[in-house]
Amino acid sequence: MNKAYNFAFFDEGSKREIRRATLKAIAIPGYQVPFASREMPIGRGWGTGGLQLTLSLIGKNDVLKVIDQGSDESVNAVSIKKLVSDTTGVVATEHTCDATLIQSRHRIPEVPLTKEQILVLQVPIPEPLRFFEPSEHETKKLHAEKEYSGAWLMLFEQIMNYGTMTTDADHPVMVQDRYVMAPSPIPRFDNTKMDHCKALILLGAGREKKVYAVPPYTKVVSLAFDDYPFKGESFENKHCRLCGADDVFLDELIDEEIGESYYLCNDTSYCLEMINEKKLAGVK
Amino acid sequence: MKLDVVHDLQSVYRHLVNSTARPGVISNLKEQAVHVDILPECFKSLVLLALTLLDQEASFKVYSEREDVITRQINQFTYAKKADGKQADYIFVLSDAPKGSLEKAIEQAKIGTPQNPHESATVIVEVGEMANEKGLDMKGPGIKNMEQINVLSLENWVEIRQKKNEQFPLGVELIFVDAKDQLLSLPRTTQITVSR
Repeated sequence: MNKAYNFAFFDEGSKREIRRATLKAIAIPGYQVPFASREMPIGRGWGTGGLQLTLSLIGKNDVLKVIDQGSDESVNAVSIKKLVSDTTGVVATEHTCDATLIQSRHRIPEVPLTKEQILVLQVPIPEPLRFFEPSEHETKKLHAEKEYSGAWLMLFEQIMNYGTMTTDADHPVMVQDRYVMAPSPIPRFDNTKMDHCKALILLGAGREKKVYAVPPYTKVVSLAFDDYPFKGESFENKHCRLCGADDVFLDELIDEEIGESYYLCNDTSYCLEMINEKKLAGVK
Repeated sequence: MKLDVVHDLQSVYRHLVNSTARPGVISNLKEQAVHVDILPECFKSLVLLALTLLDQEASFKVYSEREDVITRQINQFTYAKKADGKQADYIFVLSDAPKGSLEKAIEQAKIGTPQNPHESATVIVEVGEMANEKGLDMKGPGIKNMEQINVLSLENWVEIRQKKNEQFPLGVELIFVDAKDQLLSLPRTTQITVSR
């Protein structure tokens, strides 16, 4: 542990400021609370919002897991894990069920979260209305008036142009029938995991200086129309080449030798756990 | 002061996060409270919350018989600014406050604006006792089906709070602490009805 820094990198004043904003965020589900967003030793837009939340929350007894787009071992995840471990001395894990604090970029883990866990999501653009309204002053007014025609119209135009909603990730959700919220760019597949989730979900946008939250057991509904219902990504008749899972979010890859595509679990630690489980059970 | 301002206050914060995210969950701050040796007039859990939340960027108001003394001491320990009941970010209602103080505190507290509902007060109240038993039924985000709590308070806070929070997202947060170092948090989203 690096003792040149205060525990968890921040000075206590910075933590207090983030903590005050986080508590208000939990009290108003889906509402983006502005916060000061300190300078971090990683670039803005590389997970500084999530990192600041993690650092304000973490204690000596926590077990940390950091994933980046499903992977425990990508550069972003490893750098964040190193920084947090170095300044706190906490243990990092790859097993979702062992973690008390999970920071994630763009995925909700496949293993269902428990009530002992807090999920921290990194958010690049927290404002779901930004696509059609560039002014922060105006979007704040729209949220205040619950005026979400623009969000609906955006989806409607997609259906008119392409016959389906073309939101890839970051499909807007309605939280507790009040605020339209950007669920961070998680795939649509993960949107349903937010609804009545057992764990507290905190979302932090460092560059945009916003934190917001979805408390446990909170209603989260993806925006959709009666005749065009919300659909997650479909992986029908496809399965992971390594572990065989067919009910998870899969990555499509090309086998260059035979020129055919194959699929792998996006959540690498889940895939590894499945493979190990099968080995233990004696399945080849 | 034996209190560890880094680790003890981090634990207090996590308890507060857990109780706020799950209204009805009563947290116990005993482990941290034994380290508190300042402000003997206040419950230790209230002192812990003040140290966790307040600094020079926050304002506060105290309702107590000894308001001046306690206000001065909280200011000295946290550097937070004192403010009146309509402006304060954090409002402390102590157990020795005259009857009607809690009602007055909630009625006066700021509830934010439609564009900035987070600019609202958090009212921290010392109460006689609290437990997860029949008394008040609670529903809302953070609660799976229903939670029951019983808070021993002489004041009629349930109705006043409901009236104050009727224009969601505007409203105030309520945090109860008792002499047994327990903490209960009621964010504005929690709907409370008296059990029958």
